[in-house]
Amino acid sequence: MIRSHARMAAFLSTVWMGLGQLYNRQWLKGLFFFLFELILVIFAREPFLRAMWGLWTLGETPQKRVGGKIVVQGDHSIFLMIEGLIALILLLLVLILYIQNIRDAYTDGRARDLGERPLSLFAAGRKLWETGYAYILLTPAFLFTLFLTVLPLLFGVLIAFTNYSGPYHLPPKSLVDWVGFKTFIDLFSLKTWSRTFWGIAGWNVIWAVLATLSTYFAGLFYAVLINAKRVKGKRIWRAIFILPWAIPQFIAILIFRNILNGQFGPLNQLLVSIGLPRIPWLSDPFWAKVSIVGVNLWFGFPYWMALMSGVLTSVDRELYEAAEVDGASPSQQFWRITVPLVMLATAPLMIMSFAFNFNNFNLIYLLTSGGPANPSYAYAGSTDILISWIYKLTLEQSQFNMASAVSILIFIVVATISIINFRRTRAFKEEDLV
Amino acid sequence: MAEVPIIRFENVTKQFDDDEPILKHVSFELERGKFYTLLGPSGCGKTTILRLIAGFIQPTSGRIYFNGRLINDVPANKRQVNTVFQDYALFPHLDVFENVAFGLRVKKLPEARVRDKVLEALRFVNLQGFERRKIHEMSGGQKQRVAIARAIVNEPEVLLLDEPLSALDLKLRTEMQYELRELQRRLGITFVFVTHDQEEALAMSDEIFVLNNGRIEQSGTPRDIYDEPINRFVADFIGESNIVPGVMLEDYLVSFGGKTFRCVDGGFHRNEPVEVVIRPEDLELVPPDRGLLTVTVESLLFRGVHYEMIGRDEEGNRWLVHSTKKAQVGETIGLDFEPEDIHIMRLGESEEEFDRRIEAYGVSTDDANA
Repeated sequence: MIRSHARMAAFLSTVWMGLGQLYNRQWLKGLFFFLFELILVIFAREPFLRAMWGLWTLGETPQKRVGGKIVVQGDHSIFLMIEGLIALILLLLVLILYIQNIRDAYTDGRARDLGERPLSLFAAGRKLWETGYAYILLTPAFLFTLFLTVLPLLFGVLIAFTNYSGPYHLPPKSLVDWVGFKTFIDLFSLKTWSRTFWGIAGWNVIWAVLATLSTYFAGLFYAVLINAKRVKGKRIWRAIFILPWAIPQFIAILIFRNILNGQFGPLNQLLVSIGLPRIPWLSDPFWAKVSIVGVNLWFGFPYWMALMSGVLTSVDRELYEAAEVDGASPSQQFWRITVPLVMLATAPLMIMSFAFNFNNFNLIYLLTSGGPANPSYAYAGSTDILISWIYKLTLEQSQFNMASAVSILIFIVVATISIINFRRTRAFKEEDLV
Repeated sequence: MAEVPIIRFENVTKQFDDDEPILKHVSFELERGKFYTLLGPSGCGKTTILRLIAGFIQPTSGRIYFNGRLINDVPANKRQVNTVFQDYALFPHLDVFENVAFGLRVKKLPEARVRDKVLEALRFVNLQGFERRKIHEMSGGQKQRVAIARAIVNEPEVLLLDEPLSALDLKLRTEMQYELRELQRRLGITFVFVTHDQEEALAMSDEIFVLNNGRIEQSGTPRDIYDEPINRFVADFIGESNIVPGVMLEDYLVSFGGKTFRCVDGGFHRNEPVEVVIRPEDLELVPPDRGLLTVTVESLLFRGVHYEMIGRDEEGNRWLVHSTKKAQVGETIGLDFEPEDIHIMRLGESEEEFDRRIEAYGVSTDDANA
């Protein structure tokens, strides 16, 4: 007896789906796979090749108009790109099935080599149901992810490598072409683009650092204050300080926008009424930045306060007694015990907070809309951060390729931070801390 | 005693809110350089005494002196006292070296001095080479040593130990008992050790305070307390005891279990009802006709070191016997003992009265052995 049924079946199934199964005398299954590939080759070959052509060329026939009337509809480059991506994903699914078909043929062939009878279709189905239950349940989620997350993501990334931008490359009026890394090169080499990018990126980092640190330490301050032994009515204080967190940010920001209004805002009215000059809270580049950080502080610190209160109450009281018998004064206990312990427990979240603030679109857009205007920037204001700049580039200026390039850069920054964070988090678990 | 006691409690009461006082008018003195143990069941107030000495809490009334100086209101971080905590209370964010160095850094000692002192303290507790270990990488026994090193590096005059060995397993605990005792001798400072484990207390202490219900029931050397317990509580709490009712016919003559025996206790009224204590290991197993008491064995348990038997005499008193010899259940056996093995407890006697009587009449154990 030669033990080659397994290889033979696998080989046959590689040549054409289902052949191996037929070789294993599993007629129904084999027939199913066989017909599946046949139908694919007959009916799906043409559309697939067409989709690949579309993805590769992004269309070759421009729209033609004569006297405002469309004579030739032309190719829509963006649709072609999306169709191409969908075709690629479908190809991936087919490939998965194809590999399963080979594996199936191999397993059943091996069963024959060992002198066993391969499972019947019904038994095989039941076995699949049992061993692959988790995968079967995950399939819908997998498909959704593939088409609703992976597809848009790929699309968004690919845009950066095209010239998809106004006014000359907007389908359906005109075609879009692959341009390689030209968008990135433009971003860094063309004066207006690079000046805007570096200016905004710089402020973005400063903003994220300030926003994180200010809320973090304000939160720590209030948490320690509220948890101090002498403070009475801890619950009430906590409730009061958590209020800013409870109000929807959206509303809070718009209210602040009114409060800080240079002309009619109550804050400036108050300043004037006590004889101080008006401060251009939102219309001066510097003061607008101060306002943004201040407003963020207002509804950012309660989160840290709540979190740190939890950490503080879980710190073993004996640690303070141990520090006390070692001669530490209350302030030394605070700096040498409380702060390091809280830092240790909250540092990973601080990194996540940094990543969140880095992309805090809501605050910037709703409070200042990126303003005041900055003439030396391309399509951006003084307080714009990268994400709000991207918003303007896409929804207001149709600079899709540049927006995509910038968002790839943001992704790299945020992903790096997140990876560092997750690795640290795992290290934390071993330390059974706090 | 000419020397000023290192710690003196004068009529100290501690009460939380309106609860019953946890300490009731406690007075005692601690001498310099001795190993003291506060022994008692949980809730007896022993930890409260420790926290009062450490300064974590203030007495409701009464006075606490340190070296003759009133320290009622001196905060914990200003006292020359250090504590080894039950759960170690090591700082999780610092390594071994920095944990030990904590107090020195707080005092802003120069780096070289800190280094020398920390290494010396770690050597004291046999932890050389562990300086850069993280706390969570240390075993229970090692953590305990770090906690001790952290305490002694500050050169306290009094070291308080709050059940420091209770989290360790039996073998390690016995080992640490030796080490602690040895450490105390080498350092020559006062140790105040809190425990509910009577064996630990007997093995380690120069002097034991037995506490119950917020009062000191009895204080003395382990020997005194074991051999001459003042009352039923102490006799019961320290070691195992046979406590039977008896009558003091006259001094040195006691009647219990239906018979009359010679004993070594005096200072009683005629025919005064008393409680008689005989330790189970002092009862010797003999044939029935040669025993001072005859009992019927009711149960037998093999304890490893000895057999534990429970028998009943004619009057129905229960007798616990520890012996390497074995008797069958249902068998009648004789129990033999010496007059010195009998200890008489007067009912409701205070510690002062007890001491005075022992002083006047008692043949102390040491004399009896001589």
